[in-house]
Parts: sequence; structure tokens; C-alpha cells
Amino acid sequence: MIKAFKIGLIGSGLIGVCSCFFWLCGEVSAQSSHLFRTYKHEVPQKLQESPEAVAEGKKVYEKRCWYCHGIEGKGDGPASITMFPKPRNFTRNEYKVRSTTFGSVPTDEDLFRIITSGIEGTAMPFWSTISETERWQVIYYVKTFNEQFKKDVAPKLISVVSVTSTPESVKRGQELFKETKCFECHGEDGRGNGPLTVAMQTEWNMPYRARDLTKGWNFKGGNTIEDIYRTISTGFNETPMGSYLEKLSDEDRWHVTHFVKSLAKDMVSDVVVKVKLSEGDQLPSEPSDGNWDKATAVEVPLAGQIIATPRHWAPSVDAIMVKALYNKDEIAFLLEWDDTTNKQEEIFRDAVSLQFPTKIPESLKKPYFAMGDSGGAVNLWSWKAYWHEGFGAVVEAPENESGSVSELNAKGFKNVTVQPLESQNVTGKGIYQNGRWKVVLKRALKTEDVKGDMQFEIGKLIPVAFAVWDGSNSDVGGQKSVSSWYYVSLEKPVPKTVFAYVLIAIIMGASVEMWFIARLRRFPPKLEEE
Amino acid sequence: MANKRNTFLLIWVLTAVGCLFVFLKYASPKIFQVLMAKDHPMPTPSTLMMWYMIMGVLAGLVYATTSNQKFADLLSFLLPGSGPIIKSFLQKMLFVGFPVLVGWFVYTWSIPGAASPVELRIQHPTLPQEFEKLENPFRQKDEETQRKSIEEGKILFQTYCRPCHGSKADGNGPFANSFRLRPINFQDPGTIATVVDNYLFWRIKEGGPGLPSESTPWDSAMPSWKDDLKDDEIWMIIMGEYDTAGVMPRQREKLE
Repeated sequence: MIKAFKIGLIGSGLIGVCSCFFWLCGEVSAQSSHLFRTYKHEVPQKLQESPEAVAEGKKVYEKRCWYCHGIEGKGDGPASITMFPKPRNFTRNEYKVRSTTFGSVPTDEDLFRIITSGIEGTAMPFWSTISETERWQVIYYVKTFNEQFKKDVAPKLISVVSVTSTPESVKRGQELFKETKCFECHGEDGRGNGPLTVAMQTEWNMPYRARDLTKGWNFKGGNTIEDIYRTISTGFNETPMGSYLEKLSDEDRWHVTHFVKSLAKDMVSDVVVKVKLSEGDQLPSEPSDGNWDKATAVEVPLAGQIIATPRHWAPSVDAIMVKALYNKDEIAFLLEWDDTTNKQEEIFRDAVSLQFPTKIPESLKKPYFAMGDSGGAVNLWSWKAYWHEGFGAVVEAPENESGSVSELNAKGFKNVTVQPLESQNVTGKGIYQNGRWKVVLKRALKTEDVKGDMQFEIGKLIPVAFAVWDGSNSDVGGQKSVSSWYYVSLEKPVPKTVFAYVLIAIIMGASVEMWFIARLRRFPPKLEEE
Repeated sequence: MANKRNTFLLIWVLTAVGCLFVFLKYASPKIFQVLMAKDHPMPTPSTLMMWYMIMGVLAGLVYATTSNQKFADLLSFLLPGSGPIIKSFLQKMLFVGFPVLVGWFVYTWSIPGAASPVELRIQHPTLPQEFEKLENPFRQKDEETQRKSIEEGKILFQTYCRPCHGSKADGNGPFANSFRLRPINFQDPGTIATVVDNYLFWRIKEGGPGLPSESTPWDSAMPSWKDDLKDDEIWMIIMGEYDTAGVMPRQREKLE
């Protein structure tokens, strides 16, 4: 009896366990923000500064650094032409991430931290890949470009003693953000769209860009509260971001820090944009509609269009947020991205486009992600901010005009056609609010133009790609921010029959269990000896 | 007759399996994060996890059946009888828990899930014939010419290739995140170190659009540079690229 039990138990256990763990282990975790670096704060024992170390540092510099920072350290290396922001000019004291007072040079440890971690959102890579000795040596060489390092032997340090965040502190920080006029550059919602920042230029005609405080991954030198407090206290040399060491008390600087930290968000990205079925009759056509809260948001990182000439090395839009909803007739997309201004010119206009293949690919082969190719056509839904000829040189997109929508087809960059009027079935609306464009694009799931339009099907993976133009960054045509292919998937609603299956399963589970126990009671396991 | 001993062997086996699951799911990603010095946790691959769990359960069953005594203990837990209150509580938990668990599995199986994309990539299409015969004009030259070409090539690499492939040729340029098929890390010994110069020449010149149709599906974002760079500039980039990545190209086998 026991033997039969043993075999039965092991057998059924095996089958059960196999299937259970398939489910348990098969969960695919959403792709999160591992895309961006974590700044390292610890610094090892310093190497002795000596003429030999400087000489060795020169070798490292001329092997790895000069291409961007220039052979004389002026930040004008030959590769700097494709960079924005520009590489640091070591002959000036324009060091940003420091633990020293405003206007002072950074400490060797400050330089070590930045060389080790690099700077997100810039071309500066992390050099943790070279030895610590080499890093110290190159620091000593870089210091020789600026005389101030010799004069400022002991710059005043700013100590950071962490204070924990509380809701009251965040609230007080928000008030101080207004009172201290932080919003004049960083904007009311912290998107870097303040009225001052968009008008300011450096003495070298480069635009200043106040940090978009909602993009937590782009904080220079890190986004921990200690990093933010340090930046508020020390300021960034040679930029409008001054030091608030004297303007604000230590306590107040912590309040502002906690408020800024509350604005900073991670990028929540995923490969598939899941489109939920909307129960109501109408899909939202307003960007501010509350129904959008029901949709799952996916953020997509964007790069400059560098596939075809003219290549775009300095895009200003680096991310777009996507949401979508569908009902039995229509599908609607909400696209949001940060832009410091809504200024439009005749050819330089803010715009966004969605790209789909003209039909759902049956194999793994998709059209070329950049505007398709001769073997695979794409369908583009394009929205452009409103502008018309009477407007003059540069105008802000009027609030009562929601932009213009057009539908195009492309088989490569050079083969783009606007669809005829009768095939234009996408509608849309865009509004600009506090440094952010919000654009809704909507179309029927199926159209009559089966050759030129994507026909949406429930449950299929439908490739989608995104492009954004920033008029104030002179984006036009191929000068745009782009993504590679992502997917949209219209989720199947849960059929009612599922619950019947579950009920049957529970009843069956319970009966097997009761049978097993009943059997066990009738033939209890015997012991050979007590 | 019925076994009078009150052992909790069944509960211990179930707890051990539960602990194994928690370890694989939550603890091991953290441990590997520390061991491999990564910035993010390293989740256990799902198939690996499934096999470990199956082995865990089997180990539990094997242990419980090593003697008839143990097996009797295991089963007797389910029999009514005297025992501490906790025993009857756990019995009830098991009795309710089992059907609920079965129902939950069936539910998660039968709700329609979103499909996740399968993206294969053929790493290594064959070099087309017209590129096979070409010769890198700098590779066989005197040291001075080679040094110059490397230096020129590095400047071009840093200008045009760096935004995606990174200053260190490690595939970590500022644009790298935006391409889901990430730019290639040339420091990886499995990449440019395994091919000849000509292969790179072909890839740079023709880019993603020049990949042969046999090697679809490809999602390469590599641009074609044939309209913007002269052949000599491409050869120089190759010289500079190998130097930056710190690897050497594969040498052609000399035919006797």
C-alpha cells in the first residue's frame, strides 16, 4: 500500500509542480530604469601628487581624453562638434559637480568621482574601466590646465549632513521654490521651461538649459538627496545656477532638496505598450481627459536621427511617454514629451509622429525602423503645432489651435507621400502646458485604405516607432529625435468563461483532496515498528 | 493502527520548498548583484528557476520517502487525531489552500496574456564576395603611417561612432539606450576581434540596410556611411576602432 502511495504521490507531485512553477517562474519583470548609471560616491586612497604622476597623466589624457576635451584642455577637441552639451573646458573654472563653495575649484576627490562615474545625458563616459592610479594621474594633469588649482590650495568644503524628508518639508520646499524664484529657470512644474532660461545664452552663444527636474536620471552628479543638497549649496560654476548657501538657511536648503527630489521620476520603460479596452462609448479626445489615468504609461528613450544625412547629433527631446486605449471601433494614443518652449517658426515646428508598418508583420521581419524601406512600407500619423503665414518670424503656438494632423506613407526617407484627402482618417489635438506637449491621435481600428493604413487587430503585437521634433532646437525633416521599433498590443478582455473554469478547477481540486484524505483514513500508513 | 506520533514533516518539506522559491526569486538576484558588482539585481532566468524548483520538490519527496517511518510521518499529518492546536490549524489551511491554489493557477493560465515579442538576431552574416578581396591600405604600412592612420581614425570614430558605440568603444554611447538592439560593444572578444578588417569595412559602408536578406530578421540601427565617408576614412576608422577597443582583427589565413 505504502509503495503504491509513494509512486502515486511522486508522480502527481512532479506533474503538479512542473506546471505550477512554469507559471510562477514565467513572470516577465517589466524593464525598469537600469538604463542609466548610478553615481558612485566612495573614493579610494589618493595617489601622491608629483611631477611624475602629472607626466603619466599626460599620457593617459593624450590617449583617451583629448579627442573631446582638446589637446590644450580647452574643451574644443575634434570630436566635440557632434556633442551637446560641449566637453568641459579645463582652462576655465567651469566645474559643476563640486563639494566646494561657488567659484572655487573642485577637490581631487570631486574630480575622481566624476571621472569614475561619468555624467548621464552627456558624452562623458564612466572611466571606472581604467585603473585608479591612472585616474589620479590624469586628474593631476588636468589640474595643470588651470592656474587656480595652485592658488586655491584649500578650497572651503560644504559638508552634507542628511536630513530625512517629511511631507511638511516637501511642502515648505515648494513654497521656497517659488519664493527663491527657482521656477524662473526650472519652470513651475520643474520641467526646465522657466521664462528666464529660454531667453538666456552663454557668452559663447550656447543655450543654457536649466535641468528638467522631472527627469531624475539626468541630474548631474546624481539624484540622491545628498547630491541635490550639494548642488543647491555649491551651485554650478559659470552657469546661472548659483549657490544658495547664503541665500537660504541650511534647513531651507533641505526643504528645497526634498521638494526637488519629489519631482524627480525614474524612466519606466517597456517594450510593449499595452492597450486597455475602454468600457465607455467614447475614447478620450482631449489630452487632459481623466480617462487617460486608466491607461498604462510607457516611456521610450529617444536618440538623434543619425541614420541618414543630415544627421542630428544634438537632439533636445530625449524621451516620450505613450499611453493608449481602444474600444470596439477606435484606438487613441496620448503622447507626452517635455519641451522648454512652444515657439514655432515657419519650417521649425514642434511635431510628433507615430510609425506603424502598413500591415501587421506575419514573420519576424519588419520594415526598416527609420521610415521603412523598399520592401516594407510604413504608415505615419503626424501631428504638427499650429502655424500660419501671417504669424511673423517666431510665435508661440496659439492655445485655441490644436495643431494639424496628417497621414503619410513612406518606403524610405526619399519616398514619402501624403495620403489623399479621402484616406486621411486620423484626428488629433495637441496642447502645451507648463513645459510639456500632450497630443492625442485617434483613428478607427479598421479603415478602407487597407494598403496604406495599419489595420489594428486585438491580441497581435503591432510594431510602433516614435519621432519628435523640437522647433526651437531647429528640428525639421530628418533632424528629429527617434526611437527604434516598440510594440503596441490591444489587450483581450477577460472572457466570462474563465470564472467557470476556475470554479470547476476548485471543485476538482477539492474532490481529489478529499478522495486522498478519505483513502488515507481508510488505509492509514502502517509502521514497521514503533 | 494509526500512527500516534505527531510530526510536522509535511509542513517542513513545504516550508523548505517555499524557502527555496523565496531564495531564487528574491535573495539570489541581490546576491549576484553584489558578487558581480552590478548596479541592478540579476533576476534568476525563469527556466533555470523552474528546474531548481522541480529538483527542490523532488529532493523533499526523496527525503520523505527514505524510510517507511518518514513516509508514514509525512502522510499522518493529514490524519485527524490529537495534537497541538497549531496542527489542526495547519491542516485546515492545507485543506482550503490546495483547491484555492489550483483555482489560481487555472485563472492565470486562462486569462489572455499579452504576447511578448520574440526577437532573434543572426549575428554573423557572411561577408559578400565583393568585399572579400579588399585590402586595408594602412594595415601593412610602416609604423609611422599606421600610427597616423590610427590617430586620424580615432578622431573620426569619436566624432561619428561615439554617440552610439561610446568613447571607449564599449557600446555605451549617450544614444545607446534608445536602440533596443544595443550598439555593439567592440571590447567584447566575441565581436570585432573575431573578424577581419574587411568585415568592418562592409558593415560601416553598407550599415543595417546593407545586410543580406538571408540574415533577416535584423533590427540593426547601424547607418550606412557610404555617402558620407570616403573609403580611406572608413579604413582609418577601422584602425582607430581596434585601437580604442584594445583588440586585434583576425588574421587572414595564408593559402599555400
